[in-house]
Amino acid sequence: MNYDLVVSGVGGQGVLTMAGVIDHAIHAAGLHLKQSEVHGMAQRGGAVSAFVRISDQPVASDLIADGTASMVLSVEPMEALRYIPLLHPHGWIVTDITPMVNVDNYPALPALYEVLFSAPRLVALDAALLAKKAGSIKVQNTVVLGAAASHLPFPAALIEQQLRNLFARKGERIVRANLNAFRMGDAASRFAAALLATGVASPVLARILPRIAFEPHAVPEPLVTAWCQRLLRDDADALARRLFAADDALTPDAVPS
Amino acid sequence: MSDIILLGDEAVARGAIDAGISAAFAYPGTPSTEIYQAIEDHARKHGLDVRGMWSTNEKVALEEGVGVSYAGCRSVVSMKHVGLNVAADPFMNVAVSGTHGGLVVVVADDPGMHSSQNEQDSRYFADFAMVPCLEPSDQQQCYDFTREAFDLSEQLQVPVLLRLVTRLAHSRSSVKLAAPHAHNEANFVKDPNRFILLPGNARRAYASLVEKQKALLAYSEAHPVNALTLRTDDAKKRPGILVSGLAWNYLQEALGDALQNYHILRIGCYPLPVKKIRQLLDASSEIHVVEEGYPFIERYVSALGLMTERTIRGKLSGDLPRMGELSQDAIKRCFGLPLNVSLQMAGLADVLVGRPPSLCDKCPHTDSYLAINEVIAEFNPNARIMGDIGCYTLGAVGPLQGIHSCLCMGASIGMAIGVVHAGMGQCLCVIGDGTFTHSGLAPLLDAARDNSNIKVFILDNSIIAMTGGQPTAATDEDVVNLVAGLGVPREHIRIVVPSPHKKQHTMDTIREELAYVGLSVIIARRACVTYAKEIKDIREARELKRCTPEVNA
Repeated sequence: MNYDLVVSGVGGQGVLTMAGVIDHAIHAAGLHLKQSEVHGMAQRGGAVSAFVRISDQPVASDLIADGTASMVLSVEPMEALRYIPLLHPHGWIVTDITPMVNVDNYPALPALYEVLFSAPRLVALDAALLAKKAGSIKVQNTVVLGAAASHLPFPAALIEQQLRNLFARKGERIVRANLNAFRMGDAASRFAAALLATGVASPVLARILPRIAFEPHAVPEPLVTAWCQRLLRDDADALARRLFAADDALTPDAVPS
Repeated sequence: MSDIILLGDEAVARGAIDAGISAAFAYPGTPSTEIYQAIEDHARKHGLDVRGMWSTNEKVALEEGVGVSYAGCRSVVSMKHVGLNVAADPFMNVAVSGTHGGLVVVVADDPGMHSSQNEQDSRYFADFAMVPCLEPSDQQQCYDFTREAFDLSEQLQVPVLLRLVTRLAHSRSSVKLAAPHAHNEANFVKDPNRFILLPGNARRAYASLVEKQKALLAYSEAHPVNALTLRTDDAKKRPGILVSGLAWNYLQEALGDALQNYHILRIGCYPLPVKKIRQLLDASSEIHVVEEGYPFIERYVSALGLMTERTIRGKLSGDLPRMGELSQDAIKRCFGLPLNVSLQMAGLADVLVGRPPSLCDKCPHTDSYLAINEVIAEFNPNARIMGDIGCYTLGAVGPLQGIHSCLCMGASIGMAIGVVHAGMGQCLCVIGDGTFTHSGLAPLLDAARDNSNIKVFILDNSIIAMTGGQPTAATDEDVVNLVAGLGVPREHIRIVVPSPHKKQHTMDTIREELAYVGLSVIIARRACVTYAKEIKDIREARELKRCTPEVNA
């Protein structure tokens, strides 16, 4: 078993913290890992990435080869796209859609989303929305981490344990916010995987998913089915575009008519 | 003992601690910074008696390490590759004098120039100084080789260079630790003559270093990391691969099972094991040399490409990229193997722009550059500003475009003096507080003696910020006193506060000093916004040390 993961974002967004949490979870799972990361100049608001390589055998290379990553996990949408050359054609992109605009020539958002939402296996989230609901805007990266969990080759409980260890000294409120954020991200991701599996088009789902305020537990099966049925209808794309543009938070139990 | 996850740099740090170092010295520089950081953190957390400090510069750090060695104890000195240029003088000479307690110099190279101005390969320095070099390929070897380097240093009485590269220094994996070695008792050698490199002694010491080469070569030939694997199952000659350090990691993944079709010699210990290389050459139809950094091995083995006995393929021959980092894909291309296809997304290039690092929001350097730019726009739009190395080098890019050169640590002042001596009238330069004490004092002394018409801006933000917040040797009034002590007249040492609020005063001060013909030092003093907490901690620690000198006695 080999699983290569790219974690990306912008300096200061907690990319290396996320990578560290994943590392310790891998280690606790008894798997081998190598994780390389970017320090130094790049951390001054520049593009930051960490390569996490997971295997049941010792890992040789510190780098990920082109076209071999199983997932790009990003806290920023353009940074997710930066590492597409590393992604396997069947790989997943899990990303926050909140842009970090600190360069003059940042692309127009509609154009950026058009490209991003064309990805075949995508979990696009509004991590800010879920982080606020979880109890702290600072846990945006934990939301995204949660959205990756069900795809990673070890139990999500090991990541939760690392989050507890990491944030214990900051108090129970912060631990709670992180666990809630993690579980909301996980709920969103499982919801997305279920809908894609029944044939809902990825660009449709990509526009709906960021607008749903998930609970910190899985969406009940009947609701998943109801969303599937709704999003398999002919007008799904138009509906998705409308809801995305409206920018109102939906709840999982309010399937649009 | 159980294993733990460590960064390559941290594995070196733990290796040094477990090898029984008495002290560690370093100057911060990516990708080596975390070595001393980890030593300091670990020693403090566990109450270990490991001394040392963030030194003023790499030369001083190494001299401090040499002192520990001469006193019979073990010491590790860490720096980035260009730092070894600064420390080259003691490095070359301690090779001649030899060591007493184990002395390990850890140098982190930066192929690909992630955070550096060149790609220099420190194996050349080890070769130049005629000392052994160990080149780990993973985190476990970082730990093991660091420990071994101390034993080797004491066994053969030479300093040992441990060469890291960025991808190893900044990569994590699990490491098994071993039982720690006790500290050496401080003791002096009976005959200190070999430490007094007067010509008469130096000739004897150098003869001894030359004599040690046989033992070093024997050590390297016998080292298990220099592993030769010859495939003897057929009569036909196969191609061979000579691979060193981190390149081994990429090679394994690039070739996979096809590796079995090649004779292989791995190198992780220098001087080069020439007998093993001879065996590989004899057995092979041609040789691929795969190494991270300069084509160091390839140059020797191919005799600059003159060797016609076998075809040697590597970076000199053009089979591998001459610049930048290796990767499994670069090696696949070299061996003619297909690359994997990645996810194809239409329009990707249109919505992807670079995101280079930039100065932080509300950074004092931004205000310094804005004020300087505005004043020179009115005074002399052709003025050149010599730059230096630190966060403020980021002022080179738009929209500030505040500097016109960046060469090496401390170079701004000397270059400004040179510009004036070329006949350009006046020149400005900017240098941070950390870089100023690292290597800006000597050129400022020149400027003071010469009363050069240069305007030195010391951007004093009270911390070495670029590398993550290490203490500077001098800030605030200490900088003023240093500048005055070098002979700059007090009336031309000006202090401004680079903030939007104080911009008028800053600009007026700059105007006054630009109008003066002679040396001015303008200190732009405002603490870094990103490392406010670290600055407070450093101030408190420094105050404590001042009040209680016995703390470090």
